[in-house]
Amino acid sequence: MRKPEFIYVSYIETTPEKLWEALTDGDFTERYWFGVHLRSDWKIGSTFEMVRSNGTVSDAGKVVEYDPPRRLAYTFVNLSDEYKGELPALATFVIEPHGKLVKLTLTHEGFAEGSKFLLGISQGWPAILSALKSLLETGKPLDIPYTAMKSES
Amino acid sequence: MSKPEFVYTTYIETTTEKLWHALMSGDFTERYWFGHRVASDWKPGSAYRFTKQGETTIEGNVLGIDPPKRLVYTWNPCSPETKGERVSRVTFDLEPRGKVIKLTVTHDNLDPAGVTLRNISGGWPMVLASLKSLLETGHALKLDPPTRADEENIHAQA
Repeated sequence: MRKPEFIYVSYIETTPEKLWEALTDGDFTERYWFGVHLRSDWKIGSTFEMVRSNGTVSDAGKVVEYDPPRRLAYTFVNLSDEYKGELPALATFVIEPHGKLVKLTLTHEGFAEGSKFLLGISQGWPAILSALKSLLETGKPLDIPYTAMKSES
Repeated sequence: MSKPEFVYTTYIETTTEKLWHALMSGDFTERYWFGHRVASDWKPGSAYRFTKQGETTIEGNVLGIDPPKRLVYTWNPCSPETKGERVSRVTFDLEPRGKVIKLTVTHDNLDPAGVTLRNISGGWPMVLASLKSLLETGHALKLDPPTRADEENIHAQA
């Protein structure tokens, strides 16, 4: 039985510093993350929140690692009733220079067996990270409808 | 789906027709797929092969083709290090989502401890990142196939 986790690797034509900014600057995340503004002072143990464009908080957790421009890790849970009782799983971003590119590895782990939230984030991260790659490489994010993630397959 | 499988989803600003062509045109794959050219008449049951500098690198048969939505083929790496492993299967699903295309690659029927699983787990994120860049920016990414050290690192993390 494999661990309940989600791993995603991407290669982006950018610099580690720009990618770091894109992952931690709330004004930047708003542009590619379905309008979500990440809010934190990024101190270890500080609160980490995903703020929707209407000002409400959708997800919240704690900052676990902050080592610019190499490693960023935070926990979060979704605050809606749909995901009540889920464990605060840990999302770790590792940024590595790869020739003239940057390799980004996201590992999201610590879910309970059969976690519904794991299914949700497995749909969400590819859309968010695809839009991030496009924004850094072309200067504009992707226009992915939020409902696109609800796969019929 | 038979386990283990490798699934990778990416969203690309393009049309299903362009993406379909990019998956099946040798001139196109040569630009984003580590220099490998694909060739086939793409009829159900037909053979296809990837070649690089005249050497066949991957070969297989078309299991299913439904333009421009789904392509399924067997995957047989022509390498001594994968000899004796079962022939695996690759499925490409293309779904329009607003102005972008959702591309899902599912690679299954893999040997659980095989070299193929290790190779493709490192390779698909590179190939698909480069394909996305090529279709969106007009140029592919400069990427070499994953090295053994990269692959071991992936396993250490997993």
